[in-house]
Amino acid sequence: MEKNKKSQLNLLSVKRVLLLAGFFSAEMLVAQQSLETPYRLTGSFITDLFEPQRQVIQVCSAVIYDKNTEIAYGIVLSKDGYILTKASEIDHEKTQDAAKESAIPDVKNLKLDEPDEDAAPSIKLSVRVDKQSFDEVRVIAVDPLWDVALLKVEAQDLTPAEFATDSKLEQGTWVVVNGATSRTKRRVLAGIISAKAREIPTAGGAGLGLVLENMKGKLQVKEVSEESGAKVAGVRIGDMIVALDGRKVVKFEEIAEALKDKKVGDEVILTVKRAGKKLDLAVRLAPRDEMAHEPDRNDQMSGNFSRRRSGFPRVIQHDIMANSDTMGGPVLDMKGRVVGMNIARASRCETFAIPVEELQKLAKQMIEGAAK
Amino acid sequence: MGLFNFSQIEAAAFSLNEKKAPENQADLMLIQEALFAALPKAREATVAIDIGDGSGSGVIVSKDGLVMTAAHVSGGVKKKVTIIMPDGKRLKAKTLGLMSETDAAMIQITEPGEYPFVELNRTGQIKLGDWVFSLGHSGGFNKDRGAVVRLARLVGIKNTTYQTDGTLIGGDSGGPLFDIEGRLIGIHSRVGPQLPVNMHVPVQVFLDHWEPLMKSEFIGEGPFAQRPVKGMLGIATKSVAGGLEITKIGKNSAAEKAELKVGDVIRKMDTKEVKTREELQAVIKDKSTGDELELEILRDGKEQKITAELTER
Repeated sequence: MEKNKKSQLNLLSVKRVLLLAGFFSAEMLVAQQSLETPYRLTGSFITDLFEPQRQVIQVCSAVIYDKNTEIAYGIVLSKDGYILTKASEIDHEKTQDAAKESAIPDVKNLKLDEPDEDAAPSIKLSVRVDKQSFDEVRVIAVDPLWDVALLKVEAQDLTPAEFATDSKLEQGTWVVVNGATSRTKRRVLAGIISAKAREIPTAGGAGLGLVLENMKGKLQVKEVSEESGAKVAGVRIGDMIVALDGRKVVKFEEIAEALKDKKVGDEVILTVKRAGKKLDLAVRLAPRDEMAHEPDRNDQMSGNFSRRRSGFPRVIQHDIMANSDTMGGPVLDMKGRVVGMNIARASRCETFAIPVEELQKLAKQMIEGAAK
Repeated sequence: MGLFNFSQIEAAAFSLNEKKAPENQADLMLIQEALFAALPKAREATVAIDIGDGSGSGVIVSKDGLVMTAAHVSGGVKKKVTIIMPDGKRLKAKTLGLMSETDAAMIQITEPGEYPFVELNRTGQIKLGDWVFSLGHSGGFNKDRGAVVRLARLVGIKNTTYQTDGTLIGGDSGGPLFDIEGRLIGIHSRVGPQLPVNMHVPVQVFLDHWEPLMKSEFIGEGPFAQRPVKGMLGIATKSVAGGLEITKIGKNSAAEKAELKVGDVIRKMDTKEVKTREELQAVIKDKSTGDELELEILRDGKEQKITAELTER
């Protein structure tokens, strides 16, 4: 009976949802009463009320550009130009095609973030803070676990964000973020804390960040992913894999088995043979590509969500509308203090932020690491 | 927190909705205070509904476990479903009536108990611009996360639909829309392609059809739920000692797919003895296509159990 009609509805139960929009445009035309746009949540009569918070966003939320395109926001940490942002959004592998290329889960080859030879030329970063523009941007450090990058621009007089003491906010508490921007003016959107703070387990599982090749019954490192724990640990192309956490591994399946119950951020001891010598290297596991599955109906409803949206030790969640290009910026409380950093647009109704406690620790670590 | 007592919040929330927009940050804080006051009770009564091949949300509206949800979540009348409480406890429940044209449905928790529930807004004074909030198990039940809350304004009203600008997603279906004081005003139904287009069934729709809903009636002809198609086994039988002997099996029938054979003697169906065709019909009568039927048969003198999935013919 009227299968067509049913398929035009975008119903909301998990598995029975079909995505076609036609029904709604028709339904909206016959609405008897409708609230004028400026009075809606994202309308000017509401957002204008958050002007004190907007003034904070204006100076401490950086806008990250690739050439002329806004790709992320950031948090200004210091007068002299340290800025935190979401690492995977400024990554050269960010293009949709590259994401698809590495999307096939292939245990046998353990390809983690396989570099794409044909990827678009690497991006040209620039940063805007308040009304100043910075064309020289250095990526100082990347934390794969939190998907955070530390950037540095040459500045003297930036206004660092003020951090709240904690992120213990009751559900229903107002929070404010950078919602949009022009060249000179940041705009805000407001919403509320909308769920319990919690861990977001990795959707794609944890991996070493290596591409391995079978060489006469043993595994040899063929590629080492940039920004992976393996790279940091000093694994090199050509290394022969000997053992993982003391267990001998010679097959792909044995590595998959050894990593099965591991989490992103866990450390494993990888024993490799290089130039006749055995080396024990401590490798921090990174998230495998999360786009490894076909988008489900909820994904289709969610528009432009973040490519990396799981594998975070702890997040707070809010209900402010966003997309993958508006991550990396500060989440403010009503006093204009940073309570978190937007780290993933997870779905149509969910945005995750790194809680300020973890964020501050991470920022300190990354800046101290940079000083060494 | 703690700035207002409850009646003050109520008064404040009322004055809040009198203004077309909040005027200052103090007004914004009134919204926050009202949410703090309303959320704990609203959250306790917001449940997930496991319908086997998917999940939705619902809300308990009476002490004895009456649940409001969407018709496309319950899917049919007099069906077994499972209610999942916020703490993860699973409860047996049965679908009552539904309105297939407006997407309203009721479910009754069948395990006796006293359940947390919310009040309905029966004032008839719900209006455009009211501050509201949604709860729901977005994307499915997740105990660590809990139901997700979203703040919104009522931005569109017509007879059988409210529209809000607080985002919903799959899994929220059937979940509750509350006024800022925590009284139920609607049930989540569907979304448009843009984020701020989110649709709900007004509670008034339920109230206007309370009796047929409680009597488990299937109301209307869709599109939100389809009338069940009667399920068939596809056999001819004759009464013999000990049960019904199969004399014929229909081509491509449920019986053929379950590998029943001519000569098998059916002793029981769904644990009920069947000795006549009338008794067999009585068991199958209320079954739909896709439902399972458990058969106990005698084949070559040996007892055997077979499960058949009923089909249209």
